Amino acid sequence: MSNEAILSLNDLVIGYGDPLSEPISLEVKPGEIIAILGPSGIGKTTLIRTIAGLVRPLSGSFTLNLERRGGLGYIPQRLGLVRHATVAHNVSLGARVNIPWSKTMFQERKERTYEAIRTLGIEDKATEPVRRLSGGQQRRVATARTLAQQPQLMLADEFLGELDQTNVDIVLGAVGKLVENGTAIVMVEHHEDNAKNFATRIWEIKEKQFLDMTIEEWIEQTSTGEEE
Amino acid sequence: MKYRLFGILVVLFFLAWRTLDGLVEGDWGRLEGGLSNLGVFFRESMWPPNWSVLEARSYPVCEEDIEFFCSVGYLGMMETLKIAFVSTILGFVGAISLSSLAARNLMPIWVAVPVRIFLSAVRSLPSLIWAILFVIVIGFGPLSGVLAMTFYTVGYLGKLQYEVFEGMPNDPLEAGRAMGLSRPSILMNIVIPENGNHLLSQLMFMFEYNVRHGTVIGIVGAGGIGYYISTYLKFLQYDKVFALLILIFIVVVLIDLLSLAVRSFVNEEGDVRKPTWLNMLIQARKQD
Repeated sequence: MSNEAILSLNDLVIGYGDPLSEPISLEVKPGEIIAILGPSGIGKTTLIRTIAGLVRPLSGSFTLNLERRGGLGYIPQRLGLVRHATVAHNVSLGARVNIPWSKTMFQERKERTYEAIRTLGIEDKATEPVRRLSGGQQRRVATARTLAQQPQLMLADEFLGELDQTNVDIVLGAVGKLVENGTAIVMVEHHEDNAKNFATRIWEIKEKQFLDMTIEEWIEQTSTGEEE
Repeated sequence: MKYRLFGILVVLFFLAWRTLDGLVEGDWGRLEGGLSNLGVFFRESMWPPNWSVLEARSYPVCEEDIEFFCSVGYLGMMETLKIAFVSTILGFVGAISLSSLAARNLMPIWVAVPVRIFLSAVRSLPSLIWAILFVIVIGFGPLSGVLAMTFYTVGYLGKLQYEVFEGMPNDPLEAGRAMGLSRPSILMNIVIPENGNHLLSQLMFMFEYNVRHGTVIGIVGAGGIGYYISTYLKFLQYDKVFALLILIFIVVVLIDLLSLAVRSFVNEEGDVRKPTWLNMLIQARKQD
């Protein structure tokens, strides 16, 4: 696994018209799990959407060092599922983006789709339309879609949402498989417990500043803050 | 709020009334006796409907076992249905290609605006005018009808479709784009499945619309039952015209029922209860 940065932010300023941040310069390396923390409306989602190429940066730039097309996985806040299509169809969208054209392409796509569905434990729902599933099951479908995609960088916006612990364990277990293969993860997270259990680094946004900490530094800082 | 809405309706009605008065230039006397004229016309010229239109034509000689299959009513209606079917399918394919280029959430504005202008131009000519144009260009017959209806369907369905596409939630599109799906792939795998119900409903509506309008374009020689209606009108055989109109009415009602049946299999209601003929005819109640 190369240790070259997958994502580099170079004096990046984000926002819609008015800047939401001071210039940000950070790097993400393969296998890192970064949780972005901060209060609502401070620019967490805007940062994710900017990296996903959906919002233009106000100034500065970012570089994605992806080896192949479809190397970026994205789970938006509302999950981005095709509600009227089946679970299998939704998951296959992930497998569709980066399998090169060949005779075995369709077979490979099918295998990746069903492997992701099995990993997330939704094989009994594979032929059901997504709109009939519960919120937790839908989050599992969105995760399976990214798993089937096997991206090098996964962006997720509060994708753990209000999941119960069982679902959190299933989803994080699946994402852990991606990380083992070198996928880096940048996720917006509201629950500090999830960040503490899963992330390797924290980007905390305070007054337009991005504070970059290892998970140990952040735990130490929060425990010191609590003691005071 | 209720009173304000009522007030607006009263004002609009008054405006419409004043406009109508302007159009007839205050000469309401023309309407006098209109109803009785209609009654006389109906009793003496149209009633009873002449059902000989459902009997075999004298020429060419009927080779079918059942006479009805050689009748003006059957042959004309079948041709109208065939024209409507072909033009609805061809028009649907054309419309979906163009509407995906015209939707602002799928394409940049510099692509969407010219395509919208093109669709408006196609739609601004009624199917009757398209039929006249094609009759001039390629002559009488069903091919002119098919081309006329196809063009109109592209313009009409195209608008309905891009409005549906623009109304869909943005997050699946954004997820597809960020993941690196190509535009055709987003259309085929996200946009069409997400809006399948609407597209199907519009397709059925357009088929019914094309059957009804197929009768009109036949009058200018573009094939179908309208050709026979036009002939009977020329020879003042209003009783036969009336019989054909009843036939068209029955077919339109049947298509409407078929459309309801098809749509009820794919809408949200279909999740919990499969449709019966009764709940297709009477608006289905949500299951308690």
